[in-house]
Amino acid sequence: MNASNASQSWVVVADDPAVTGLVEVARTVADEVVAVVVGARPVADTVAAGVDRVVWLGEPGAVPLEAFAPQVAELVAAARPVAVVGAATPAGRALLGAVAARTQAPVLGGVRTVSVADGRVVVTHAVMGGIAERTVALEGGPAVLAVEAGAVPAGGATAPVAEVAGAPLDAATVTQVRPKVRAGVDLGAASVVVGVGRGLKAEADLGLIRGLAAAVHGEVACSRPLAEGVEWLPKESYIGISGQHVAPDLYVAVAISGQLQHMVGVRDAKVIVAVNNDKNAPVFGQCDYGVVGDLYQVVPALTAALGGSDD
Amino acid sequence: MKIVVAYKWAPNPQDLEVRADGTVDEARGKPAVSEYDPVAFELARRLADETGGEVVGLTVGAAAIDTPLARKAALSRGLDRLVLVADDALAGADSTRLAAVLAAAVRAIGGVDLVLAGDSSVDVAEGQVPLTAAAQLGWLGLGRVTAVTPAAEGLSVERDTPAGVAVLAVRTPVVLAATADAVVPRVAGMKDILAAAKKPVEVLALAALDVPAPAVTLATLGTAKPSGGDRRAVLFDGSDPASAASQLVGALRSAGVL
Repeated sequence: MNASNASQSWVVVADDPAVTGLVEVARTVADEVVAVVVGARPVADTVAAGVDRVVWLGEPGAVPLEAFAPQVAELVAAARPVAVVGAATPAGRALLGAVAARTQAPVLGGVRTVSVADGRVVVTHAVMGGIAERTVALEGGPAVLAVEAGAVPAGGATAPVAEVAGAPLDAATVTQVRPKVRAGVDLGAASVVVGVGRGLKAEADLGLIRGLAAAVHGEVACSRPLAEGVEWLPKESYIGISGQHVAPDLYVAVAISGQLQHMVGVRDAKVIVAVNNDKNAPVFGQCDYGVVGDLYQVVPALTAALGGSDD
Repeated sequence: MKIVVAYKWAPNPQDLEVRADGTVDEARGKPAVSEYDPVAFELARRLADETGGEVVGLTVGAAAIDTPLARKAALSRGLDRLVLVADDALAGADSTRLAAVLAAAVRAIGGVDLVLAGDSSVDVAEGQVPLTAAAQLGWLGLGRVTAVTPAAEGLSVERDTPAGVAVLAVRTPVVLAATADAVVPRVAGMKDILAAAKKPVEVLALAALDVPAPAVTLATLGTAKPSGGDRRAVLFDGSDPASAASQLVGALRSAGVL
C-alpha cells in the first residue's frame, strides 16, 4: 500500500451493533471514523450513532456475513486508512482476515492501548495467549486490530448511511437457523461474576454456586471443562481465552485452579476472589483475596455471611 | 474429496516461562499437535471415509516443527499423507504471514476441496489464521463449525452463531474452522502410530512457494509481563469457614466492592 490516509480509520462491522469498543480505538488514531457494515439495515443505522460515515452493503438475506469479507477488504484497501478495527469474534475476524490478506498486514489482537507517535501507530497488545505483552510501532500499511466489541452506541447524532450494492462470494446459503434452547447469558454486563471450575463434584452442587451468585447479585460462569467437557453450564458461560472475556467489579473463582487459559478472561476484573482447597493453586498468585478451604464448607459460609441462603 | 487439515505444532504457553522483562523463554515448552486441532483431523477423516477422499495434513512454521516425533504425532491421527513447510524464516511469524504460506502450500498441493482447521491454536489462541488463509486463497472461510457432512452440491455445514445453530449449504472449495467440541477425536493407538511411519511426507521449500511479501513492518518498542500478577493475594484460612467468610466479606466491604 502507498502512504495511508492518516486522517481516517475504519471499523468493520459483522452484523453486531456493539461497536463502542471498536470506535474508541479507531478514534485514538484518526479524526474521521468510517464504518463498513455487513448485516441488516438496523445495524447500520445503530452504528451510525457512533461514527462519522457508514457504508452499508445491503441486506445479506441468506448469505453468511463471511461471504462479504473480500468486498469489505476492497473498500477498506481503496480508502487506505491508518487503522482498521474489528471485533475479536469469529465473524469480526473473518472481515479482518480479508483486510489482512488484501493488505498483507498482520492482525493484532489482545489490544491494550493504541496511540500515534511520530506518525506511526503504536500498539501495546497481549501475545502468546496473554502471558506476555508487546509494544510495536507499525510501518508500511494499516494497523489491523481485533478488539473487544464494547456496547451499542447510544442514540443522538446520526452519520449518513450510504448503501453500496453487496457483492458477496457465491459460495454458501444459510438454509436454516435453529434458535438456541437455553437463553443467552450476558456475562459482559454483569458487575459481579461467580465462576466455578473442575473442583465442583456434581452438577447438583451448582445450586451452591447459584446461591452464592444470588447473594452477591452476580451471574454464574465457569471454566471450559464445565461447559464443554461435562456440559453442566451453557457454552456462553465459560470464561477463558476462547470463551468470554469479562471485566466485572468482582470476580469470584470457586474451585478454579487458575490456569492461564481461564485467567486471561478475567484479567480486567477489578477485584478477584479465589476459593480453593489447594493452597498452592496458581489462582492464589492472581487474586486479591483468597480463602484456602473446601468449597463445600466455604461457599455456604460465604453465602450466609453475605445474608443469602443456600439453594 | 481432497481435504487438507491445517494444524499447528506448538507448545502450551502454560509451560513457558515469561521473564521479568516480558520476553518469553520457550526452552521448557514441549510442542505438540495444538490442543484443538485433533477435532479437525477427526472431522476430516470421517468426511473422507464417507466420500472416498484423501486427507492431507499441512503445517507451516520454523525448522523445529519438522522432527520424527512431530511427523508421527500428526500422521497417527488419520492422515493419508503430510506436507510441511519448515523454515526458520517463519519463526515468530504473524497470522497473516502464516496464512499466506498455508494458502500457497494449499495451492501447491492442488485440487483441494476443503481446508479444515481447529478453533484456535494453543499458543496464540486467536483463531485468526484459518480465516485469513481463506481470504488469501480467495475462498469463503467460516469459523465456529460444529458439523460437516457431504451434500448433493458440496457440503452441509452447521455453525454455532449468536442467533443459534445455522445450517448452510456450502459449495467447495471452502475453509472451515471447527469448534473445540464439534466431535470427540479418536485416540491414536499403537497400530496408528506404527502405520504413521510408512505414510508419505513431503517437505515444500518456502522459497519455492508463491507467497506475497509482508507489507507492514513491526518495530518492537518493548515487552512486559502483564500486570495480572500484581494483585495483593490476601489469604484467609478456610479451616474455620464461618470466620474466613466473615473476614472476606468484611475485607470486600471495606474495599468498597460490596
